[in-house]
Amino acid sequence: MRITTRAALAATAVAVASMAIAGCSSAGGGGITVTDAWARTSMAMAEAGAAYMVIENTGTAADAITGGSSPVAEAVEVHETVDMSSAMPAESAGMDGGMASASPDAMAGGGVMGMQKVDRLEVPAGGSVELKPGSYHIMLIGLKQELKAGETIELTLDFEKAGPVVVKAEVRAN
Amino acid sequence: MSSTPPRGGGRTPRPRLARLPALGRIASAVIPLALLAAACGGAATPSTVMVEAITPAPLGVRDTAFDPPVPAPDLRLTDGDGRPFDLASLRGTPVFVYFGYTHCPDVCPTTLADLREAIAASGVDARVVFVTVDPARDDAAAMKQYTDYYQSGFIGLTGSDADIAAATAAWGVTYAKLPGDSGSGYAMAHSTDTYLVDADGMLRHHVFFGAPADLIAGLLRDVAGG
Repeated sequence: MRITTRAALAATAVAVASMAIAGCSSAGGGGITVTDAWARTSMAMAEAGAAYMVIENTGTAADAITGGSSPVAEAVEVHETVDMSSAMPAESAGMDGGMASASPDAMAGGGVMGMQKVDRLEVPAGGSVELKPGSYHIMLIGLKQELKAGETIELTLDFEKAGPVVVKAEVRAN
Repeated sequence: MSSTPPRGGGRTPRPRLARLPALGRIASAVIPLALLAAACGGAATPSTVMVEAITPAPLGVRDTAFDPPVPAPDLRLTDGDGRPFDLASLRGTPVFVYFGYTHCPDVCPTTLADLREAIAASGVDARVVFVTVDPARDDAAAMKQYTDYYQSGFIGLTGSDADIAAATAAWGVTYAKLPGDSGSGYAMAHSTDTYLVDADGMLRHHVFFGAPADLIAGLLRDVAGG
């Protein structure tokens, strides 16, 4: 029984490894290249960390990230930080009869920003997408360990066409 | 002033403040906050508002000086040790005041890391006060753990919903709980300005998100008279 279990585990490991290799080679050969990947230092108890990178699609068809995973986090999601300066004051603009001269822009308390989950982040054919602070980012939800400067963490990003792409991200403070 | 490209890429900053004195902006910002809160069912409770997806905004380098400087609003909340805190107790030292929340993965860590870097680069003894807009999740212990991680000496503040609503209103800061289906629970939308208060308790600058650390360091040196 024990041997069987081990054999099964080994078979699974081989299968997983070959899938990973397949993902890498297909990515490198025909489509997705990830550069400048980094994750911000974060304490272990943090509910959320972030990783940034440039994703280039050298292929002839658009591809898209649909999800991901990482050994350092419970879940991996793509999020986008968005400027909501216009949206929030606009909630009250209609009631603000006496302040006609104050446009939503002027009333914004200084770059009101929010965040939204992105279920599908498209990388256009022959184009690239930059994930950076204040914009798109990979959200590492439920960190399992401290992200220490100088370390490297592994992320697997799931692409619609290229499949899983393993990304090594350097951890740094800023 | 800086060789670092702004974090907004090549986007063109909106001239959102060019026409208005900074003080007018603060005063007017209080009104929509109050109305927003009222519209959503009471100032004491940060309410959920539906916010449409917005085209990513310009996030370039934007700093606005308070000219002339105005007294910083009061800020009396609870610190990370659960003790009463009064911003006035930091007179004699420049202070950065920033509003955010600890579940914030992107903007808040970026800002706090930039402030840490700016203070170190400036050589000025300055403090950072980080005020939560998410008191439901950020109690004193959570704030202390979070600010201590960035730098010992950073001060995290929390309070009751009503306390936070009053403090943010005084500072012209808006915030709202956002609906969402993220595995991280809800997110908060919030003003991302950092306020720079000088040693005499006067508001000198609000620094917009994305300002590079060396620009912030320059402002700090200027405010400190160095």
